[in-house]
Amino acid sequence: MSGVVLSKIVKKYGALQVVHGIDLRIDPKEFVVLVGPSGCGKSTTLRMIAGLEAITGGALTIDDRVVNKVAPKDRDVAMVFQNYALYPHLNVADNIAFGLRIRKVPKAEIKKAVHEVAEILGLTDYLARRPSDLSGGQRQRVAMGRAIVRHPKVFLFDEPLSNLDAKLRTQMRAEIKRLHKRLGVTSIYVTHDQVEAMTLADRIVVMNQGVIEQIGTPMDLFNNPANRFVAGFIGSPPMNQLHGFLEAGDSGPLAQVGRIKVKLPKSESLRHETGRPVILGIRPEHVTVNEVPGSFPINVNLDLVETLGSEALLHTDFDGMSFVARVETLGDVGHLTGVDTLHVRPDLMKLFDAETGRSLSLEAGA
Amino acid sequence: MTVQEKERPLSKSEVAISDEHSATIGPFEAAVEHLKREWQLYLMLLPMIIWFAVFLYKPMYGLQIAFKDYSIFRGIAGSPWVGLEHFETLFANDQFLRAIKNTITISALNLLFGFPAPIILALMFNEVLNASYKRTAQTIVYLPHFISSVIIAGIVITAFSPTAGIVNTVMGWFGLDPVYFLTQPEWFRPIFIGTGIWQEAGFGSIVFLAAIAGVNPSLYESAVVDGANRWQMMWKITIPSILPTILIMLIIRIGNIMEVSFELVILLYQPATYETADVVNTWIYRQGLQSGQYDLAAAAGLFNAIVAFVLVMTANTLSRRFSRTSLW
Amino acid sequence: MMNWNLYSRGDKFFAIMVSILIGMFTVATLYPFIYIAAVSFSSGFAAQAGKVVLTPIDATLEAYGYILKDPQFWISYRNTFIYTIGGTVMSLAFIIPGAYALSRPQLKGRRFFNLFIAFTMWFNAGLIPFFLNMRDLNLLDSMFGIILAFAVNAFNVILLRNFFEAIPKSFEEAARMDGANDFQVLWKVFVPLSKPAIATITLFCIVSRWNGFFWAMVLLQSEDKIPLQVFLRHTISNLSDDDEFAIVQTAAGFSAETVTAAIIVCSIVPVLIVYPFIQKYFEKGILLGGVKE
Repeated sequence: MSGVVLSKIVKKYGALQVVHGIDLRIDPKEFVVLVGPSGCGKSTTLRMIAGLEAITGGALTIDDRVVNKVAPKDRDVAMVFQNYALYPHLNVADNIAFGLRIRKVPKAEIKKAVHEVAEILGLTDYLARRPSDLSGGQRQRVAMGRAIVRHPKVFLFDEPLSNLDAKLRTQMRAEIKRLHKRLGVTSIYVTHDQVEAMTLADRIVVMNQGVIEQIGTPMDLFNNPANRFVAGFIGSPPMNQLHGFLEAGDSGPLAQVGRIKVKLPKSESLRHETGRPVILGIRPEHVTVNEVPGSFPINVNLDLVETLGSEALLHTDFDGMSFVARVETLGDVGHLTGVDTLHVRPDLMKLFDAETGRSLSLEAGA
Repeated sequence: MTVQEKERPLSKSEVAISDEHSATIGPFEAAVEHLKREWQLYLMLLPMIIWFAVFLYKPMYGLQIAFKDYSIFRGIAGSPWVGLEHFETLFANDQFLRAIKNTITISALNLLFGFPAPIILALMFNEVLNASYKRTAQTIVYLPHFISSVIIAGIVITAFSPTAGIVNTVMGWFGLDPVYFLTQPEWFRPIFIGTGIWQEAGFGSIVFLAAIAGVNPSLYESAVVDGANRWQMMWKITIPSILPTILIMLIIRIGNIMEVSFELVILLYQPATYETADVVNTWIYRQGLQSGQYDLAAAAGLFNAIVAFVLVMTANTLSRRFSRTSLW
Repeated sequence: MMNWNLYSRGDKFFAIMVSILIGMFTVATLYPFIYIAAVSFSSGFAAQAGKVVLTPIDATLEAYGYILKDPQFWISYRNTFIYTIGGTVMSLAFIIPGAYALSRPQLKGRRFFNLFIAFTMWFNAGLIPFFLNMRDLNLLDSMFGIILAFAVNAFNVILLRNFFEAIPKSFEEAARMDGANDFQVLWKVFVPLSKPAIATITLFCIVSRWNGFFWAMVLLQSEDKIPLQVFLRHTISNLSDDDEFAIVQTAAGFSAETVTAAIIVCSIVPVLIVYPFIQKYFEKGILLGGVKE
């Protein structure tokens, strides 16, 4: 029972409740990413862990100690802020040393610690510079250095890469991952970018409107989204969601979607649910132009071809519903402009209840 | 159940801890908790709040002498109430009524002549191309703002002296008889307002220059493409663009109409010019601080403060309309 | 800005006319100072006869000799320095922590405190109650009284509070997670980050203290406590009222006019020395203040 444990955590601002009782256990050395659209409560949750926001209800424990009322400085956590919050009047070395100075660590120790951290982050040549003389990536590193130098139990990251351009973001993402491997410190990372979440996380926590929609490894969330929200949030472009309803077939349940009937995996629970409205989820990546074993064809009207290079996005219309496919170009998009049939594999499809949004595939599997 | 396993539900003991901490705390307990956390902030605020209470709010308590027959020996609380007696005296007092009239007249003249001056100056500065010339001129015209009223008055007294002053010297060149300006009631207001413009027009232009600097340059560029000249651009672009600032500054000035810089009046006027120079605050100063009629003077001050308060609040409300943000 | 080469002839004419007008206004601003300086270096006789226009006539240092010999001049000069430095330090000691506290959203009753302070800009009890209050507080004729009673004004508090509010919250939070308490956050982070605003306020304090006259005149009686401005005022009114002085001293080479001018020069010189340093701040400073509740 060590690590960080959130138990029924609630946050209210006056009458407005923004976090609705979250349960989450984060193991030591784990890298957990909180992801969700803006306003979903992920940053608030992180700030409650940091101690920057008071916890309205529930308990937060760090290494078996309840820290609800412990001041941020005494929680032994460090945070990297979205805007880095580097002190412009201090040079890099002093920025990194700030926390140690406040804590009255002996000078020699500070010096040693700062140099160690600078070594790790490749900042040794920049120690005498002011933040204004650094590039975006270097500032980002200083911000991390300030967190690392104190050897905290937990690192908190609040959208640390959102101020960087796309190329640098990819690079820094890898660097954070490497750093986590090297230092092995429990990390909690907030982002709205699902790619960041997928690449960095040991486990992802998808949040929406103050509740956790799903917790799981990146591949779990991708393969088995618990509901329509997660299905739409994880993966790019998002999963196609086609409206339809259940029908009983001769050899098992069918889903009527548009003009076609899709045969569903054998399932006891769905057998007698004829007429129940459902959503059929198909990932764009699971659609092909050519037939593959087990696939069946659907007729579509091609609207637009977006070329990405090795792949292309086909924006199509399937019986009045928008349907996107992500297909290989094989170095040429000429052959894609005339596409009117796409192939989908029933075994990779997801089924959701249209009313609750919950996954039916999971129930079916159970 | 692979998925369930990855969600790792909390153990019973973990949930129990949560329940323990979820007990809602009362408002008193919450306040204590808050103070424990943030006491330093309140400690930082405290000296300043005490200062305001002692030096600005305590005198407001003392304002009650406006309704009392104040005697030094009985003190503020011990002096007997006399109701509105002092106000009746005030509004029967020709000198006080004259002071109100002078205050408003001087403010109005100041508005008429003193208000446009910094705007015109800012518009002119905007047309000066040579940066170092502009910079030097700005440096010089801002300077008088930082000079004390006593020095300003000293300069005015010296310059307008009947025998020694430069003004009469120059008038002598044109064969005019010397004038003892500072003893002539009809000359007080022109000198006072002229001095104000000399002292404040430059500094006052900073606000308008900032407003001009905020005008989108592409407006001028498109005007150039349309063939406009500088004069037209000034009237069609610059002035309309800074109109909100002008309006707000105008409203502030109107709101402060009761505030004539009485320090300078005290330094420049003399009994011979009271007729045109004596304003409410100088009257209060003479009645209260020089003649010791504290209660009557306090009543005049209260009247002045209430009128000023109403004017300022009105001005603030108006400016909110023009700028969406208020003035303070 | 605009390119001179693209100007039409009319525009060029307009720009030149404006430059000339600006030049005239600048000269008009500067002239009184030059005139006073010229008077201060002229002989008393030339000054009294109104002969001084631009340069000293019968140049002499007699007027300066007269005031520099006056011990009261030096006492009041020293006092002005005490009021300026002591007053400015006192102001900052109240305003910086106070404005910081007011700028923090976690401060309960923040709206009330802000109103409590802003209200004093709109409503003032006036001269008499303020004076009586000073008397009740036993601060009449007290140097400390002058320094304390004019230490704070709402405008400066609001100016600095606005500046602090504009500093991203994460600076405070980062320092707090690093273990800083409020005093450390203020002193090690906010004060260094707010140098322009604090410089502006310091400047306002220095200028108002250096120039402060009315209340010093009203509240101080002892000659050894009065500041330069009050001494200057006394000198000006005494000299111009005193006919005997005029007759006697003209023979000595100085007059009421030259002595007045010399004191004016002496009290402006420090302002002129500091002025170039403060100039870069006040333009920003007055814009920092005003707007925003």
